[in-house]
Amino acid sequence: MLALSPNNFTEWIHKQVHSNGSEAFAFSPELRAPSLSVLDGGVFPTRKDEEWRYTPLKEILSQFPEASASSPVNPESMADLKEAVPQALHLVFVNGSFSASLSDAPSSLNKQGLSIKHIATLEGSSRERAEGVVGESSLSDDNIFKHISLGLAKSGLFIQVEKSTEIERIVHVLHISTESELSTFSNPVHVICVGQNGRLKLLEQYASIGNGKALSIPAVFIQVEAGATLEHYKIGLESDQSNHVSNASVTVATSGTYTSHQYLLGSRMTRSNMEVCFSGSGAQAILRGIYLGEGDQHLDVRTYMDHAHPNCSSDQHFRGIMNNQSRGVFNGMVLVRKDAQKTDAQQSNKNLLLSREARIDTKPQLEIFADDVKCAHGATVGELDKDALFYLQSRGIAKAEAKLMLTRAFAAEITDEIDIKSLRKYVQNKISFLLNGVNTRSV
Amino acid sequence: MLSIKNLQVSVENKSILRGLNLEVHPGEIHAIMGPNGSGKSTLAHVLSGRDGYRVDGGSASYKGLNLLEMAPEIRAREGMFLAFQYPIEIPGVNNTSFLKKALNEIRKHRGEEELDAIDFLELIKRQMNLVEMKEDLLKRPVNQGFSGGEKKRNEILQMAVLNPLLAILDETDSGLDIDALRIVAGGVNKLRTQENAFVVITHYQRLLDYIIPDFVHVLSDGRIIKSGGKELALELEERGYDWLLEKAEPQV
Repeated sequence: MLALSPNNFTEWIHKQVHSNGSEAFAFSPELRAPSLSVLDGGVFPTRKDEEWRYTPLKEILSQFPEASASSPVNPESMADLKEAVPQALHLVFVNGSFSASLSDAPSSLNKQGLSIKHIATLEGSSRERAEGVVGESSLSDDNIFKHISLGLAKSGLFIQVEKSTEIERIVHVLHISTESELSTFSNPVHVICVGQNGRLKLLEQYASIGNGKALSIPAVFIQVEAGATLEHYKIGLESDQSNHVSNASVTVATSGTYTSHQYLLGSRMTRSNMEVCFSGSGAQAILRGIYLGEGDQHLDVRTYMDHAHPNCSSDQHFRGIMNNQSRGVFNGMVLVRKDAQKTDAQQSNKNLLLSREARIDTKPQLEIFADDVKCAHGATVGELDKDALFYLQSRGIAKAEAKLMLTRAFAAEITDEIDIKSLRKYVQNKISFLLNGVNTRSV
Repeated sequence: MLSIKNLQVSVENKSILRGLNLEVHPGEIHAIMGPNGSGKSTLAHVLSGRDGYRVDGGSASYKGLNLLEMAPEIRAREGMFLAFQYPIEIPGVNNTSFLKKALNEIRKHRGEEELDAIDFLELIKRQMNLVEMKEDLLKRPVNQGFSGGEKKRNEILQMAVLNPLLAILDETDSGLDIDALRIVAGGVNKLRTQENAFVVITHYQRLLDYIIPDFVHVLSDGRIIKSGGKELALELEERGYDWLLEKAEPQV
């Protein structure tokens, strides 16, 4: 338990809880109230909590955010940030606030079975629907960042796909932190509903312009309805001085498909928590991810895969690449409940240590209460294959270049699965640049 | 081209090569034969610059350069090639782009212009016929999911594309059926010129039915105990190694 100390994040949170400002919050007072009372307690986890053993919060808690200290965004830097999905519907947030001028026109937001609204402006049945999705979330009440999202979020989108509608245009939700004297703060909350047999592709991207300090605490709440498909990509590439703590809560109904790709390449500290819960049989989840660290970066990836219904499959493959003194954490839990017969759950975590000072803590976990299931999990931590290095060298390729090739190849086994060509190229380029020692964390 | 004098090499403090001498000139094919554990593969690895071998004495020069001081990639760029006994699988690295990269590194070193994708593709397709390799293997990661024979053909394809001055074939025949053996040997014969040389390391004489050597050397206990022409290989086939080993014993 960490006591409140002056001028830090916890005090700032406290102030927010008790502020009587007129600014609209994303969620209704009823939904916010329980979270506010938790936040009011001011209790933050410490390293003594098992969930936070490997990831110190000290850095974040000593950071004093300046909400939305907006500096203008140079339109030229937008080009790079849109490059991953040039043809997408771009929705841009700057330091946590929606930027209408940088985003595509609102007229394009609501057509052909796609509806995109600001959560804070939702009314009636739409609000009920969005808050219903949030209410069904499996995120634990011990998760203090959930309460920051529910209690304090002001901005965020409610993205809905009507049933039996395939949205061809990719939806790109881009979060930019700009350089400012103090730390910028953003905690957007997005709610995404893909209706029965609907299809959507979504890119959630976090970026920095300039090497400023930023604290991002985003959350996404996702519902994939029966027979629907969501392809969800996330790129985390914020500046070296940023901290990023995210929650994603996903529910997949009968015969629905959820695919997630996470590329966590930036921030001084990243903690990404994803929880996927099947709410019907025959559903599937495919989770892929790469975390790449150098310098003194800290990257912490968590997944919680909840098999509560029969005949569902989940397939997780995460890879870590740690250079210099960076540190990676993978914590993946697969829970197969008693009724979840014929579950097929696979989980693989492979890690590459590029330096002697780099470190990985990996903890794959499997808890099975059903008796007719196919489950496997495994984790490896290793260095580059010496035989492969020699093989490349023996063909004339210099050692440093051979190392790069093998490291890129290690990542490519994940990135090759990205279906969107421009996005695949973008991610692979960023990874190559970072491995080449080119810092591309700020635009 | 290659001059090895009194070469002594140990692995983990165990002496493997104990004073090996070998002279290879352009246009020659040398076969190195010998029983298991005689040091054949160690010789191939030391010549190609693999880690884990300690040179205790002697010298090896290649084109007048001190071979033992050169990094593996420099040896390759200077025209040396090792066909691996066990080619390595490299997931995630595409076979074609790997070979293009390798060729262009070597061309750069020679001061030649790098080949672009189109010229390279033309070259590789020409050379693929040489080893009768299926085109889809080019699109796969290096050696991944290749059969034993496909891996060895891929080695010969690499050799054909990189066009080395000195090629060392480390038990390329092991694990090959007769058809694959014929194809691999055919590749070597077509690449043979007056300028290049081959050192063919093999346990069995059967490869030498297809690749006719100019010289046959018998390696035993880290030294060449007998050298001769191609007829020596036939004699070994008939009589085995024992008669030579007995004769060599007093020298130890």
